[in-house]
Amino acid sequence: MVRRIRLGLTTPALLGLPVAWLAAFFVVPIVIVALYSFDVYTLFPGPHGFTLAGWRAFVHSSLYLGLFWKSVKLSLIVSAVVVALAYPVAYYLALSGTKRKYVLLLVLIAPFLTSYLLRVLAWKVILGNQGVLNTFLFWTGARSPDHPISQLLYSRFAVMLVLAYIWVPFVALPIFVSLETLDTRLLEAASDLGASRWSAFLRVTLPLSLPGIVAGFLFVFIPTVGEFVTPSLVGGTSGYMYGNQIADLFSTGFPDWQTGSVLALFLLAVVALLTAVFSRFMQAGQAPTR
Amino acid sequence: MSDVAISNNGRRGLRLFFVVVVVFLYAPIAILVLFSFNNSDVPAFPLAGFTLSWYHQFLHDADLRGALETSGLVAVLSSVGAVLLGLLASIALVRRRFRARAAMSALLLSPLVIPYIVFGISLLLFFHAAGIPRSILTVVIGHVVISVPYAILVLVPRLQQIDVNLEEAAYDLGAGPFRTFQLIVLPLILPAVLSAFLIAFTTSFDEYAVASFVVGTRATFPIFLYSALRFPSRLPEVIAVAVVVMVLSLVVVVSAEIGRRVAERRLGAPGA
Repeated sequence: MVRRIRLGLTTPALLGLPVAWLAAFFVVPIVIVALYSFDVYTLFPGPHGFTLAGWRAFVHSSLYLGLFWKSVKLSLIVSAVVVALAYPVAYYLALSGTKRKYVLLLVLIAPFLTSYLLRVLAWKVILGNQGVLNTFLFWTGARSPDHPISQLLYSRFAVMLVLAYIWVPFVALPIFVSLETLDTRLLEAASDLGASRWSAFLRVTLPLSLPGIVAGFLFVFIPTVGEFVTPSLVGGTSGYMYGNQIADLFSTGFPDWQTGSVLALFLLAVVALLTAVFSRFMQAGQAPTR
Repeated sequence: MSDVAISNNGRRGLRLFFVVVVVFLYAPIAILVLFSFNNSDVPAFPLAGFTLSWYHQFLHDADLRGALETSGLVAVLSSVGAVLLGLLASIALVRRRFRARAAMSALLLSPLVIPYIVFGISLLLFFHAAGIPRSILTVVIGHVVISVPYAILVLVPRLQQIDVNLEEAAYDLGAGPFRTFQLIVLPLILPAVLSAFLIAFTTSFDEYAVASFVVGTRATFPIFLYSALRFPSRLPEVIAVAVVVMVLSLVVVVSAEIGRRVAERRLGAPGA
C-alpha cells in the first residue's frame, strides 16, 4: 500500500487540472449567478448593493411559483409514465430468460444515443395540424380535413409525449440493472414457501428493484423539471415551462438577469436537495453507464 | 430458472409490450427516413414520389455545412479535453488515497445533475463578468465541464479492474510513470478511453441548451437546426440531414459498443 502511493504522479498533479477546470468553469459561474441574484452584480451600471429584494419578490410571485409547480407536476407525470413503460420492458429483458438480452437492450437504448433535437423534430413533423399523423387520417378518410385532431402539437400533451419518448430508453437501464442483479433463488424460496408469482413479485422483486425505480425516476425528473428546449419547440403557450421563463429572462428584449438568477438558483437548490436525499439510489443507477 | 419470475402467458405479454415500446421508439425515426425521400415541400400524406433532391440540397447548403464543421471542431476539442481531464481524475480516484476524496468525487460528478439551463446561464454570466467574448471556445469550455463526469464514469470501473501488480512490475523493471502508463495502463484501458471519447463527442455534437447561451457568431449544428426549425421551407432539407446524422450516430455508437464488448472479453474482463 505504501509503495503504491509513491508510484507515478502525485495526487495534486493528477487532480489539479480537472478540479481547477470545474472550479473555474462550474463553481465560480454558479457563485456569480448567486451574486446577481443578490444584486451585488448587475447587468446595467448604477447604484446597487446586497439586497434580498429579488428573492422576496420571487417568494411572493404567483407567476413564477405557479410556473414552477406546473413544471413539477408535468415532470412528475412524465417520470411516472416513463418508469411505468420502462419497468415491464426491463423486467422482460432481465428475467424472462431470453438469450439475446444484451442485444435487445442495445436495441432499446440506441435511440437515446441519437440526437435529442432530431427526435424532437420527428414529433414536430408528426404532430402538426397538417403533420404526418393528421394528413394520414385525412388520406385514409378516417377524419375530415376540416377537423384535424388539434392540440396535438403546441400543447402540454405534446411536451409530455416528447419528453416521455426521449427518456424511456435511458430509464430502462437502471431498472434493468437492479432486476438483473436480483438473486432469483429468493423467488424460488418464495415459491417453495407457497407464494404465488404475483405475491412473490409484490413482496420480493418489486421491493428489491426499488433502487432502480427511484434512480430511473430521478434521472427523468431532474433534467425535465428544468427543461426549456422541448417546450419551446412543441409546447406553444400552454406548454410553457419554468425553464422557458428562465431562458426568456436572459435572452429576450427585456433581460432581467437578477430575477433570472433567482429562478435559476431556486431550481438548482431543489435539484441539489433531491440529489442529496436520493444519492444512495443514484449510485445504484450509475453502474450501467460504464 | 426464470419460470419463478414469469409465467408463459406473462412472458408472451411482456414480449408483446417490449415490441410495442420498440415500435414506439423507432416509428418517429422511420417516419423521418420515409419523408426524407418524399418529393414534396411539406412532410404530409399522401406521399408524393421518390426524390433525392433534399439530400442534394443539404450537401450544397453552405450554412449547414459550416454548422456541421463548427460542431465537429467543438466536439473534437471538447471530447479530447474531457477525456484528458477525466483520465487524470480517474487515476487519482482509483489509485490514490487522499483526504476529501468523497468531496472531490462529488465535485467532479456534479455536472451530471445540474439542469443545463442553469449551467448555461451561469456560464453566460461568468463570461460576461470576466469579459471573455463568446465564441466556439466558450462552447468548448462548457462542453468539457458537461463531459468530464461521463468520462470518469466510464474510466473508473475499467481502471479498477487493472491489477496494480502489473504497474508495480513495470516500475521494478525500471520504467518511469509515463512509460508505465503508455506501455501497461493505456493499452488496457484503451476501449474505455475510446468509449469515453465517443460519449463526449456525441454529447457535444448534440448539445443545444448550454451552447445556446454561450455560442458566438459561428453556429453549431444544434443551433443551426433549432433556428432552421422555425422556417417551414427548410423542413425537408432538415429532415434529410436529420436522417444522415441519426443513422451515422446509430452506426457509430452501436459498433463502438460491440467493439468495446469484444475488446473487454479479449482482455479477460467480463464486458457484460
